[in-house]
Amino acid sequence: MRLSARIRGEHFTFRSVKEVLGRANAPKSGDDLAGVSARSPVERVAARAVLADITLEQLRMRPVVPYEDDEITRMVEDTLDEAAYKAVAHLSVGQLREWLLETTTTGPMIRSISPGLTPEMVAAVVKLMSNLDLMVVGAKCQVVVRANNTLGLPGRFSSRVQPNHPTDSVQGILLSAREGLAYGCGDAVLGVNPATDTPESTAEILEALHALRTTNRIPTQHCVLSHVTVQMKALAELGCPMDLMFQSLAGSESGNRAFGISLALMDEAYALMRERGTGAGPNCMYFETGQGSELSSDAHEGADQVTMEARCYAFARRYAPFLVNTVVGFIGPEYLEDGPQISRAALEDHCMGKLLGLPMGCDACFTYHASMSQDELESLKVMLGAAGCAYLMSMPVGDDIMLNYQSTSYHDVPSVRMLLGKRPTPEFDAWLQETGIMDGDMPGPRFGDVGVLR
Amino acid sequence: MSRTRELIAALRRDLGEADPAPPAIHVERVPDPPVRVFPSRRERSRLAGEASAHTTALVGIGRVGTRYATSVVLQFQAELAVAHAAVGQVLPDGWAEEQGLIGLSSQVRDHREFLLRPDLGRRLDEASVARLAEDDVPKGVDVQPILADGLSAVACMGSGVELLEAFSEACRARGLTVGAPLCARFARVWLQDPIGAAVGAKVAAILLGERPGLGTGDGLSAYLVFDPKPGNTDGDRNMMSNIHHRGTPPAEAAPRLADLAAAMIAQGRSGVDLDLSGVAGVESGLRPPQVRLPLVETGGDLS
Repeated sequence: MRLSARIRGEHFTFRSVKEVLGRANAPKSGDDLAGVSARSPVERVAARAVLADITLEQLRMRPVVPYEDDEITRMVEDTLDEAAYKAVAHLSVGQLREWLLETTTTGPMIRSISPGLTPEMVAAVVKLMSNLDLMVVGAKCQVVVRANNTLGLPGRFSSRVQPNHPTDSVQGILLSAREGLAYGCGDAVLGVNPATDTPESTAEILEALHALRTTNRIPTQHCVLSHVTVQMKALAELGCPMDLMFQSLAGSESGNRAFGISLALMDEAYALMRERGTGAGPNCMYFETGQGSELSSDAHEGADQVTMEARCYAFARRYAPFLVNTVVGFIGPEYLEDGPQISRAALEDHCMGKLLGLPMGCDACFTYHASMSQDELESLKVMLGAAGCAYLMSMPVGDDIMLNYQSTSYHDVPSVRMLLGKRPTPEFDAWLQETGIMDGDMPGPRFGDVGVLR
Repeated sequence: MSRTRELIAALRRDLGEADPAPPAIHVERVPDPPVRVFPSRRERSRLAGEASAHTTALVGIGRVGTRYATSVVLQFQAELAVAHAAVGQVLPDGWAEEQGLIGLSSQVRDHREFLLRPDLGRRLDEASVARLAEDDVPKGVDVQPILADGLSAVACMGSGVELLEAFSEACRARGLTVGAPLCARFARVWLQDPIGAAVGAKVAAILLGERPGLGTGDGLSAYLVFDPKPGNTDGDRNMMSNIHHRGTPPAEAAPRLADLAAAMIAQGRSGVDLDLSGVAGVESGLRPPQVRLPLVETGGDLS
């Protein structure tokens, strides 16, 4: 295998595919922190040139964490769809990029080869893609899933209502959730990050959200994003209604250990959810990820954060989830420094998740110590909508009063929908029409009026 | 002429050839929009009034089309500006000495590096190591208090000195010996480990600015660790957050933190293994809602 390139007489050589993957990445402060990024813009392009010639078969043989050392690598290798893999194994990464971009290559075709792709292949190809490339390919891949409603259909754009509260006040949570619903948000999930990680607290919030949903006959799902072991207790021992089960995932065995989970634990959680979950469709899991989470627990295994992120998606696809989103700007400027890095990562993550067959959403967000402006964040929401992102978050003025960061708002979701001519999931759309919150694709007479909800 | 040319010509005839801009339509005097003001005591909507009893989330703020009213935009921008200003503020040179504190620094050289290199913010620079070795810095104390900027120098300069003094006094009142008053710049929480180890303190207590939230740049957190030394992890520490005049005031936080330090010394441990019975307000995990104040007031007269 050739691992060298020459640009304007300057010669670059690389020691391994893993090193090439790191050096080929778009600039990210987290890759600088990990010491895996390109040392100059020219070296970055040289690495991309080398990467473009590597075949998918060669990538499969060289996962960034060895098979012997890591259960995620083993799971990917042992469950890869060989027929789908054989269709594309001979392509180089550069050729894969071109095949994905061809207008003759349709979403269903990409969806069909997706089970034959490893996360390293998907991470590699996005390193050769510009932001607009990522949007074009992302928009092509439609991943449709079903719980109490049907998410990811063409022309649809959904949102999670995220009514977090710093002390888990149920009344405070419900006030915020009702407001979000009145703005047409919440068709992806009514999902609360609890301040207290106990089964009792999880159950109390789940019961309250369930009551809100059933009283008003809203075709959506509910979820409390406590640790998966806490949710398992709430479901199995307290018997409370749970439409979706949540967990944060990492792309390495060591990273997942830092999250207090493993493949075996997630298998158990999924089996329990399939048996006891209260959602009405085949898809019942919800996962969150984000570039840099492995490095933050020193579990990146010397690999770059885009490749580690893709490995999270390979983990997620094992459980046919209803929702997966990257929490792109949450982790802080030491991983994604500013607006351009956060926006780029959001588009990369969306495209990678879609290529691996996930119904990708995005928490487009920043913390207040990152260099991103509100205007940049608003632009990102429109880019994600145009790229076919399945859903965004939503909360009052985008301000999470519990987690202290800036995300998308109850006002942003209908604004992006109107700009792009998109509508919520069909079942939820029908409910919005019935209540008068929406009138066709325009705000209806009860838009923004919480009096419409009981 | 080709078929396509004919079609284009026909299309032009259909579209017309005059100025394509539509004629201006007569607009009556635009009526004043209904007042939609960021909830203040005088002019909040009924819903916002009820909501404020349960949450500080900005609900009941109404809308203009699908967007925010102007007053909401200004309140939001003011809150964002306050947070960004707090993050961007650097502790001025000489500030520590002016307060009568001993100034230290991590290995970070500037603000950007501070944000991007948490590893350097956890290590002392050489000058600071030498300064701590001098004779006027007592060694082998029970508690070593450290004021620090963390992610908000504004908070550090706000109620930092007040908290440092009240905490030190509360420790002495409990019969504990207290180290020299230190102030560290470009400091992450874990910098308490090399500092505490350098002076041989039983407990190191770092009081530092929290990552600002919307409209709040003045919160301090306190992290305490028994047997400070590099290699300690988050699980070895206990903390208290939201220390400022609208949250837990410094005068209230200080005795609780001194109780915490005393408990660590009595039990010979800290972190998840520490028995917290009898120590109030620490590591509850719950941050009380911030009081949300209208930030924008306007005045002046253009007439």
